[in-house]
Amino acid sequence: MNTTTFNPIRIDEEKCVRCDLCDWICPGDLIYHEEGNKQKLPVVAYPDECWYCGLCQSICPTQAIDVIFPEQMVRNTTDVTTLLGKVES
Amino acid sequence: MSDWTQLETDVLVIGGGVAGTMAAIPVLEAGYKVVICEKGKVLDHCGSIGCGVDHYLTVMDSGPEWDTPAHLIKHVPELTDYIVDMAVASRVIEEMPRIFRKIESFGVDFKDKRLGTYYRLRSFGLPGTYHINFDGTDFKKCLGERVRKGKATVLMRTMVVQLLTKDNRAYGAMAFNFRTGEWTVIRAKAVVLAAGDVNRISRNASGLAFDSWHFPYNTGDAQAMGYDAGALLANMESVEATLTPKGFSTQGLNALVSLGAYFVNKRGERFMFRYDPKGENARRAVLADAVINEYLLGNGPVYLDCRHLPQETLDHMEHTLQVDRYTLPAFYQQKGVNFREELVEISVSELSIRRSGVYFRGSGLAVDTHGETSVQALYAAGDCATVSGGIAGAAVLGHIAGEGVVARIGALHGTLPEIDASTIDAVRARARSHLDPTQGLPWKVFEDEVRMTVTDHVGVRRDDRGLRLALRTLQALAKREPELRADDLHGLMRVHEAKNVRKNAEVMAAASLARTETRTGSAHWRVDYPKPDEDHWRRFVLVERGGDGPRVSTLSTSEPLSAAFSRAVAAA
Repeated sequence: MNTTTFNPIRIDEEKCVRCDLCDWICPGDLIYHEEGNKQKLPVVAYPDECWYCGLCQSICPTQAIDVIFPEQMVRNTTDVTTLLGKVES
Repeated sequence: MSDWTQLETDVLVIGGGVAGTMAAIPVLEAGYKVVICEKGKVLDHCGSIGCGVDHYLTVMDSGPEWDTPAHLIKHVPELTDYIVDMAVASRVIEEMPRIFRKIESFGVDFKDKRLGTYYRLRSFGLPGTYHINFDGTDFKKCLGERVRKGKATVLMRTMVVQLLTKDNRAYGAMAFNFRTGEWTVIRAKAVVLAAGDVNRISRNASGLAFDSWHFPYNTGDAQAMGYDAGALLANMESVEATLTPKGFSTQGLNALVSLGAYFVNKRGERFMFRYDPKGENARRAVLADAVINEYLLGNGPVYLDCRHLPQETLDHMEHTLQVDRYTLPAFYQQKGVNFREELVEISVSELSIRRSGVYFRGSGLAVDTHGETSVQALYAAGDCATVSGGIAGAAVLGHIAGEGVVARIGALHGTLPEIDASTIDAVRARARSHLDPTQGLPWKVFEDEVRMTVTDHVGVRRDDRGLRLALRTLQALAKREPELRADDLHGLMRVHEAKNVRKNAEVMAAASLARTETRTGSAHWRVDYPKPDEDHWRRFVLVERGGDGPRVSTLSTSEPLSAAFSRAVAAA
């Protein structure tokens, strides 16, 4: 796991009730929480594999989750023509 | 080496999305046993539309001529640029009203709450207002509940990595759970492949592999496994990109366009009418094509313009914005853009292999009118099959395949082959070797190389030289697959996905090289053959596994794809 990777979700420690739902719902198998452990917060184990779908946020019973987009998404500077292929002509 | 579980069932369904659950339903109704393998954890929310969906395409047979299957069928050849399996497409369209009403009976409410009736829109150039705009947040939940009531065995967080076939007949598959590492071998009388489209195959603006318009956890697993088992694939040269708010490859833009939003270029020109007399109502493929061209002409950035729309429409847009992608309002908010009053810069998304923006022309496993592939007892439905039509296409072909399976099981005779323990051990040993920390090739690096190759040479602009280079590069990457490294069981799933992505890219490159014409604009744009060739290319490109790489052939579109199936020949 690369710990320097941008974390796509923020979990509010105060609000989180450690209920496992975000672990269950994440379609990418990214969020891990030891079932029934009321002490530990869920962990985003594979943050760079996030689809930014927000299912975790939508299912969270206490609104403890916010989805945060990285800079390269909200302020994107890619030249779109670089995505359109390299051909000779 | 025998620490794996064997399950016996009537039908194995691979993928628990819309197509897979809809295939399971008629099988369960007929009283057969079903096992579903699914990479997600909760059946009610897994698959591409686990977060919800905002439109459903259907003929309803409500009275007017345009609302009949016959009317839509008549228009399918021109909608697909004549590359379509009319036999299967017609069957799907004919079944649409029946399956639509069946889904309504599961509790899906397609009606607009304010109108009290269906809110039907014309979009993507279709010859009628076939798209129902609705709040489909619970669509998948209703299908999931139906399957659970039918008592299917559902193996969650389970990835199928190998089909079991003998003498061109499928009899099961091998799978592992990527949380526990448990292996299961499922023996079944029929197998339905419903694992979706191919994503993570090329680059996009953000450069993030999993920031994709379509579901990034769909990696062409069905197409790759079917190919390995000898199944025929078709239309794999056709790719699909969409238009997205720049930086976030999300769906949702097309819904705004069908409600009246415009595209404008950097000069403020509304350019769509230069490309299609229907303007922004043109087919999805034409929309993406036009924007690609504007960028190549130097007219970028291109923007979405909603400023002319009445408040009521803008309210409706804002209200439904999060239905297709829950986080889209948060993205606009964090970006600081108000689409009601400001232009929104748009980009071309990464590519995926699905149906190239064209309804009823799917790219994937060739199927007959019962959803059966060229391998006996192996079925396919949804975005991995050659007739694909979004959620409705997946639902209808899924249900057709389920009914096909019921008929097939009744007609099958003879016992199923015994599970060969040495095959099982070989697959498991290969998987285990990827967990060896001395392996040198991280799956992310491998996948990035695939994406770079596809973007540059098998993407929206193609030529002979580039495609040959891409094929060589992708085949050289295949030789390095034994070196792929996974850090844990989750990574082992990604390793298998990465291999599937590469295999689909190789098939796509081979098919693209064969089709020496341009068809449906940037879905297959050969800059060295820039025009459609109606005299020679009203043909399907078929790909199957050969001795040393993909074997390519073609078939006239006046025939159904099943005419190329060897099992059909054998049966005749």
